[in-house]
Amino acid sequence: MSCQGLGDCDDARMQRIYEYLDGALTREDIAEIKVHLEDCPECTAQYDLECVIRTVVKRSCTEAAPENLKNSILDRIHAMNSVDV
Amino acid sequence: MVTVDLDAMSTMDPAAAAMYKAATDVTDAKSDGDASAEADVEIAVDFANETPEQRRARFERDAMQYVDQLYSAAMRMARNPSDAEDLVQEAYTKAFSAFHQYKPGTNLKAWLYRILTNTYINLYRKRQREPLQSNSDTIEDWQLARAESHTSAGLRSAEAEALDHLPDSDVKSALQSIPEEFRLAVYFADVEGFAYKEISDIMNTPIGTVMSRLHRGRKMLRDLLADYAAERGISAGAEEKAVGAPTSKKQEKRK
Repeated sequence: MSCQGLGDCDDARMQRIYEYLDGALTREDIAEIKVHLEDCPECTAQYDLECVIRTVVKRSCTEAAPENLKNSILDRIHAMNSVDV
Repeated sequence: MVTVDLDAMSTMDPAAAAMYKAATDVTDAKSDGDASAEADVEIAVDFANETPEQRRARFERDAMQYVDQLYSAAMRMARNPSDAEDLVQEAYTKAFSAFHQYKPGTNLKAWLYRILTNTYINLYRKRQREPLQSNSDTIEDWQLARAESHTSAGLRSAEAEALDHLPDSDVKSALQSIPEEFRLAVYFADVEGFAYKEISDIMNTPIGTVMSRLHRGRKMLRDLLADYAAERGISAGAEEKAVGAPTSKKQEKRK
């Protein structure tokens, strides 16, 4: 990889992008990465791809619990409470 | 006090998230013993003297709103919907029994996730008799083998486009194929938006471990998703193929 703006290897670059997206960096680091992303199509492509992956995973893995699940939990909790009292 | 809103956080701009993190770090540092004071600010209830009935009402009001989210997480742990349901029910039962130990004002969602994860580890993983850790050597080899195949910068945006069109079933399968400890870390971070510290609490592992699991897990996920996209022949210009359900080798294997 030719770009060394975010790290000296692909792994280091991705780690920076992950931390950037994870909100795990200082404001100075974030500002620095923002500036770099504007100039580097390669890192921007990696960044975009990671954003897409997160969106896709979020979209695919959001499931509603079956209707009866909440009720059976509430039933069990009620039963536990009446034993306590 | 800082109000924790994880749902908002997951979609937060990185700059704002960093500020949030800085603020919570400060709160964390002095949180010991402050819980009751914080709680007084939020809800004027005497938790120590509440009746069982009041505690149950509080549990129902505060904890039950996470059923769908915990179920989604349980689906990433258990093998099927029925086990996921059992897992969530068991976790809620445990959470209710231990609710007096929960410090009002602290992160209830993370607390519930921790119980869910522990329940899974204690109950289901034992039952499945699967090795606790995945085979690291295999993963390294596989990653090395894959490392060279996605380096062409010119294809990136097409790849992003392709991944965006993957059907949900492929994305779920891809995530499910990742070894568990990586899968859960990625799920907690990318879907639930938990911070490294919170994932470290939920999974009971050091932050450094969380970060390396995330790094490797995300890489595996990215490669698998790219495979699925290639298998379905999805490219930026061939969207209609995404809707169909080709019988690929991978899909047959999963049955």
